[in-house]
Amino acid sequence: MQKKKKNAKSWRKALTPYVWLLPSFTLMTVMVLLPILTVFYRSFQKFSKAGKIKGFIGAENFSKVLHSAKFSLVLRNTLVWTVLVVLISTVLGIIIGMVLNSEFRGRKIARAIVVFPWATSLIIQASVWKFVINTDHGALNALLMKLGLTKSAVNFTSSPEAWFAWEIWVGIFVTVPFVAFCVLSGLQSIDSGYYEAAAIDGGGFWQQTFYITLPLIRPSLTVSTVLNIIYVFNSFPIIWAMTKGDPASRTDTLVTYLYKLAFINGENGQAAAVSVISFLILCLASAAYLAIFSGGGDES
Amino acid sequence: MKKQFALALTLAAAFGCMTMQTQASEKTSVSVIAAQYGNNTAAWWADFEKDFEADNPDIDLVVEVVSWNDIYTKVNTLLQNDQAPDVLNIDTFADYYADDLLLPAKDYVSEETYAKYYEAFLGQSEIDGTVWAVPDLASVRTMFYNKDLLEEAGVEVPATWDELKEACKALKDFYGDDVYPWGIDMTTDEGQAAFAYYTWNNGGGFVDENGDWALNSDANVEAIEFEMSLYNDGYTNSDPANQTRYDLQDLFGQGKLAMMIGPNGIPTYLSDGGYEINYGIASIPSNTGDSIAMGVMDRFMCFDNDYSDEELAAITTFFDYFFDDERYAAWVKMEDFLPATSTGAEAIAAMDESYANWIDILGTCQFYPTAKTEWIDVKQGSIDVEQQALLGEDVKTLLDALQEDVAG
Repeated sequence: MQKKKKNAKSWRKALTPYVWLLPSFTLMTVMVLLPILTVFYRSFQKFSKAGKIKGFIGAENFSKVLHSAKFSLVLRNTLVWTVLVVLISTVLGIIIGMVLNSEFRGRKIARAIVVFPWATSLIIQASVWKFVINTDHGALNALLMKLGLTKSAVNFTSSPEAWFAWEIWVGIFVTVPFVAFCVLSGLQSIDSGYYEAAAIDGGGFWQQTFYITLPLIRPSLTVSTVLNIIYVFNSFPIIWAMTKGDPASRTDTLVTYLYKLAFINGENGQAAAVSVISFLILCLASAAYLAIFSGGGDES
Repeated sequence: MKKQFALALTLAAAFGCMTMQTQASEKTSVSVIAAQYGNNTAAWWADFEKDFEADNPDIDLVVEVVSWNDIYTKVNTLLQNDQAPDVLNIDTFADYYADDLLLPAKDYVSEETYAKYYEAFLGQSEIDGTVWAVPDLASVRTMFYNKDLLEEAGVEVPATWDELKEACKALKDFYGDDVYPWGIDMTTDEGQAAFAYYTWNNGGGFVDENGDWALNSDANVEAIEFEMSLYNDGYTNSDPANQTRYDLQDLFGQGKLAMMIGPNGIPTYLSDGGYEINYGIASIPSNTGDSIAMGVMDRFMCFDNDYSDEELAAITTFFDYFFDDERYAAWVKMEDFLPATSTGAEAIAAMDESYANWIDILGTCQFYPTAKTEWIDVKQGSIDVEQQALLGEDVKTLLDALQEDVAG
């Protein structure tokens, strides 16, 4: 009898974590797993322009997407966009994080100011920057002319490449605060004793940075970088608000491209195929990054 | 006693609910999804819904006004879930027809109301001899010019392509970088309209005389090359692939743009925006000597939701009520559009004389071939051709590829 009670108790104990996990698991299944499976399913279906499913067509959607001249252009844009925004944001974020970690007057205000770009809606950020660089009535041209630096309005967006560069700049501008605060949280957990010991041993600023600071904030940087790869890769509002991917997809990324396929061109199947390809690229990129950079992070 | 009181209360509540339910189920429901044309649309529909239900107490009208940005997504999502609205107000219909989702217009519009529509407008929604949608309004596109800017530079209003080039050159020489002579919108929003302005006014267009796609005709190649030459010669706004019609209207209102092609609603846009410029209206410059204005038309369509006679009668009542001449005139004027019914046109002309000229132009307009199921591909394809040509690609090669994609 006592053994039975003991068994029941151990069962209850073993089950308890799963009961607690059940709400999260249900939520993840409904909000994440099912949509992913649905997109995979839809990528193998034929759709009418009105969005009705017309039956299984195998890999035809993938074939059409991969053979389209635009896809390679858009894929290249996406890689350039993601790598540049994440890389430059990370470098700038580390520098700003270190500055914000040091003692200076007005540090609290500086920290609050750095948060602003991150706390503001991306659509608003992108629209404001679009207004700033506008050729005809932009704030930047008005400023330059007022300062006497230019006589007439400068066209800052004279080519698709120029537009794309501005979009990358806005992407960096809104991403830097996140990296800076991840770095700041990492920096604040470093014991000052390391720096004191390094100073006694004659270690200068650069040696302290490369041998103490960077290795110890690596876990924070890994988190911020993986999250940024996913956020930036999937970012829609900046490009949509500034150029809608135009002209002729020269500033499209995979996300804006698949949005156009689905909601402007009525190609739901191909849009789902692009979603699947994006998902796989992201999975691979994140896994590769984690494998390369997170090994032993906790121990270091 | 308390128990008895509680029981009586419960029974009364249940009876009340049943009565309400019976009353609600006695009503016939009509659902409408309507496009949001501007700031006044939602309020207009809210008043309409209230008036309609007051005059037709046995019909429960539910109108949902959706912005143009979201309406296609919204409708397609509903269709994917087999939840089609009864009535839809949108621009195109051919995709829904292709999926066999629509009812013929004569099934739900009364003879009296049907007789009010302009024949030419009904023809825009005809496939295989059957009309599948009815027009709700129209607008026309023609040329607007800044009288003061042209006069100051000694430039005549251009009527031909040669004159347009000469006028642009003269304006450019006179104003330098301060004024853009000519406005072009080749954005994802309206690039297909620019394609139509130039190709139609060079004897080309989207389709040939048989109604077959003719996107790579010689006339079209010449027209798009002419359009590009205006940009390449520095006569247009700086970024036609990113500056929408509204950007151009603002530049026009600020006196920074001398000429542009735009809709009949521009005068209201300018006055609402506080712009005070002296402008004139003229025909779109043509290369054939015969200027063609562009008409844009939106529609109502009814989805085939297996209606009972009663439900179909309720939908007919909705259309009769909407197209009542006085009410319809108010609808059209609400966002500065033009009427699609002859009796509505008379009612509007009586209310406001300025509409008469626009209604005359409307009678001579050409429309997009929206009754063809490939239209959505052609629309996006024509915009893409313009944007790629803007980047220096060969127009003939681009149009050949588009024709191949669309017509095989």
